[in-house]
Amino acid sequence: MIFQCEDLERALQSPELMPDARAHADRCPRCARELYLWEQISQAAPGLHEEWESPGLWPRIRAEIRADIAARPAPSPWFRWGRWALAAAAVMAIALFLLRPWKTTSPGHDFLTDDALKEVQQAEAAYAKSIDKLSAVAGPGLEQSPSPLAAAYREKLLLLDSEIEELKATVASNQYNAYLQAQLASLYREKQKTLQDWLQNAKRN
Amino acid sequence: MVGVSQLTLTPGMNIEAFESDADLLAACRRRDVRAFEQVYQAHAPRLKSIAFHMTRNRQDAEDAVQEAFLKLYRAIDGFHGQSAIGTWLCRILINVCYDVQRKRQREADPEENPTPERQVEGEPTLAVALRQALMRINVRHRLVFLLFEVEGMRHSEIASILETPEGTCRAWLFEAKRELKRMLSEVRS
Repeated sequence: MIFQCEDLERALQSPELMPDARAHADRCPRCARELYLWEQISQAAPGLHEEWESPGLWPRIRAEIRADIAARPAPSPWFRWGRWALAAAAVMAIALFLLRPWKTTSPGHDFLTDDALKEVQQAEAAYAKSIDKLSAVAGPGLEQSPSPLAAAYREKLLLLDSEIEELKATVASNQYNAYLQAQLASLYREKQKTLQDWLQNAKRN
Repeated sequence: MVGVSQLTLTPGMNIEAFESDADLLAACRRRDVRAFEQVYQAHAPRLKSIAFHMTRNRQDAEDAVQEAFLKLYRAIDGFHGQSAIGTWLCRILINVCYDVQRKRQREADPEENPTPERQVEGEPTLAVALRQALMRINVRHRLVFLLFEVEGMRHSEIASILETPEGTCRAWLFEAKRELKRMLSEVRS
């Protein structure tokens, strides 16, 4: 193929024509400039990716999700009655299974849940204590730093603390709810991660 | 019901990862907040950047990402894994950003001059010129350019996000680069 200047645009769309285009550009300064600029655009483009810290964004999204869960419309009366009927049947079945009036009961079956709860509470206390230690290390630097990043971290930690307190109050009235316990665990992990992120960030700077 | 082993709190433990997309999607459908957090950790940086380029404002970009996640959360039952969850989220985000743009256009005072493009200190001249030229090209061409050249997405992903044939996406990318090249040539000459 005899490559001419008019073929350049077509070559930019068809990789198989690029070797010819390059050979032509070696002899044609105008096409060489065009080709150079074309490649420069692709090379400069990744530099336009924008990245910035936003430690408060996920806690905001999570709070909105939780609010959404809380604000879900109540099911229709029919559905509610149906659920009550199902729940009543389930309670009856469990009661019959546990009491087994037709048999002598063997002790010790319902202690497993209590043991598990005790284990969770002990682990939670140990975890909270270790986070307190981490807070003591991160605290002075975080409180005194005037940077906007430190302010964002402070805001996030405040949000987390208030969510932890709120959830702890809910858990206290429903201790056997595994889902709530898991949510509380997740909040503690988030707080730990935030403190660690801040400390790493402080170390870098 | 969550097992006790999952509830035990170990200091230093990280958020458990859902290993496959199917596990992650199943957990999202159960409304497991940890699964949404994993989706957030994986996709937020790219989503923030895309939203920033579409809204031209970091606060609006964060608000758009937040809104996109809420929409994802509310509509997760309607998602059947036709594409990757990140692809779907990106499509939601782009629609949210269009809403933000429309809202901003309604609110804008016609007498007011548009915000001039900022120049980042130390940014190479070509990047500055490219950033400015990008704002002046066709919206669809710009979007494909952003997703492919700036964010490094594949044509197949972009086609899925924009619900457009892959060939059309390639053509739009070519048009975007051609428009940008023409504008940059004008600036240089």
